[in-house]
Amino acid sequence: MSAQSHLGRQRTTWLIFIGMCVFTFINLTPLIWAVLTSLKDPRDAFTIPPTIIFEPTLKYHIQVWTENDFVFYLMNSLIISAGTVLISVPAGSLAAYALSRIPRRSSGPILTALFTIRMFPHMLLAIPFFVMGTFLNMIDTYPLLILALVAINQPFTIWLMHGFFLEIPRDLDEAAAIDGCSNWQAFRIVILPLARPGMTVAALFSLLLSYNEFLFALVLTGTDTKTLPVAIASFGGEDISSWSLSAAGAIGIMLPIVVVMLLLQRHLVRGLTAGAVKG
Amino acid sequence: MASWQRGLWLFFLPSFGLLAVVLLWPLGYAIFLSFFDYYLGSGERTFVGFANYIDLLTEARLWNSMWTTIIIAFGSVAVEFVVGFALALALYRLHSSAKIFSVLLFLPHIVTPVVAALFLKWMLASNWGFVDATLLTFNIEPPDWLGSPVWAKVSVILADAWVFTPLVMMVLYAALQGLDTTLIEAAQIDGASSWNTLRHVIVPALIPAIIFVISIRLMDVFRFFDLIYVLTGGGPGTATETITIYTYQLGFRMLEVGKASALGVITLIVVAMLLLTINRSLNKAYRGGDR
Repeated sequence: MSAQSHLGRQRTTWLIFIGMCVFTFINLTPLIWAVLTSLKDPRDAFTIPPTIIFEPTLKYHIQVWTENDFVFYLMNSLIISAGTVLISVPAGSLAAYALSRIPRRSSGPILTALFTIRMFPHMLLAIPFFVMGTFLNMIDTYPLLILALVAINQPFTIWLMHGFFLEIPRDLDEAAAIDGCSNWQAFRIVILPLARPGMTVAALFSLLLSYNEFLFALVLTGTDTKTLPVAIASFGGEDISSWSLSAAGAIGIMLPIVVVMLLLQRHLVRGLTAGAVKG
Repeated sequence: MASWQRGLWLFFLPSFGLLAVVLLWPLGYAIFLSFFDYYLGSGERTFVGFANYIDLLTEARLWNSMWTTIIIAFGSVAVEFVVGFALALALYRLHSSAKIFSVLLFLPHIVTPVVAALFLKWMLASNWGFVDATLLTFNIEPPDWLGSPVWAKVSVILADAWVFTPLVMMVLYAALQGLDTTLIEAAQIDGASSWNTLRHVIVPALIPAIIFVISIRLMDVFRFFDLIYVLTGGGPGTATETITIYTYQLGFRMLEVGKASALGVITLIVVAMLLLTINRSLNKAYRGGDR
């Protein structure tokens, strides 16, 4: 390559870099704006032009978690997410392990079926859950929402864990089998310790999924089990007079997710593409 | 070994048992319900055969919501694909600083969808929202982002793009990183321009990932609910009422659960047909165009 074209390449790379900086900044404006709003007093929030420099206050962040029921909603969210993960991840891991060990001609159709389930509109599931919940008097209880979330979580968990189990060499199970281990012993003693990091990743993803879920939470919960997304939607969606307060609530809901995401960073692509890269 | 292999099937029991109870049974029940005139408020249930389906398919509101869904689906997936692909290529080119950009660009995607919708709603709020306040500073009269039928659709498309472009970007970026670099280098040595390298080397190699991400996005747009519910609630009027929002209105506002189930089944059939067509035509275009 000639020196000139090398210089040209360098320049293009710089242009791309600057372009990316600008794009990223514009792309993050809604987030930055929400953070600023949550730190503003109303007199700074309702101005033309928008106020960028002001005296920040944490008043609303404190108020939203102390004077409203947000702590209660957070507890609901945590109970429901934890319940979902505790059911979904163990069951899904067992199935995923078996899936990674049976012949491809049997596992292929099962994986395709799981992928097809992804296609089902959630509405189609929400209606029967709502009708049955009404019959069984279970609307506004934890178990109903947990079961609904397990239903949408399970295919995803199996899919993700399947990828992790494929990476654990089959020789290990075969050696265990030759040594006389049953399937269960081989899984528990040999495979499970190796699969633990993968299970943590799957658990965190399921946790995110359930924490963020809105539709089922909206129709299946009531005053006793309302989760954070439902609470903030009704709180912040209506009028903008309590703008700073809702913004503070929204930011608060977002923070734990950002932390989980930083933990998951290395696995993020894989969680989202389980299947794209590996086929 | 054969019996050891057979023992593995027991491992499926808990998961498939769960799926049967919480997924297949409710789905079957929904299909069953779709043949009844069932108003949940009074609890009266009468078998009506296909009447719900016929009612729906002859109704203007359904076709209106179907068109809205298609416009929003294709609009947002087009934006997401073009921007996402461009970003993925940029990340691929930058490699050293790609990591920090990918984390920052990914933020909108991991935020709770409802919260993301609120952020955007506050941006677009008339008068005091960031966009309007900025435009008004320069004496530009802003359009009514969420209140006019056309702009509300545009806003919903952009909102969907804001949340989901990062996903498309990440999938394509991961696929790019998996590419065989010798192919690209060979093309460059042969004197191919960047555009030709992109078109004849990179894109064909990415086809599986592209099909995957477009399919996933299309089926998700069809069932996506949170963003539109918070942003416009289907309004103004029914300007942004997608099939999903309409199903929600039918089932949970009017409590017509039979008819709502029928609409759910129709949605499922539409999505399935759409995906089949897309997969087939993309596959064909790629195989046919290459030879």
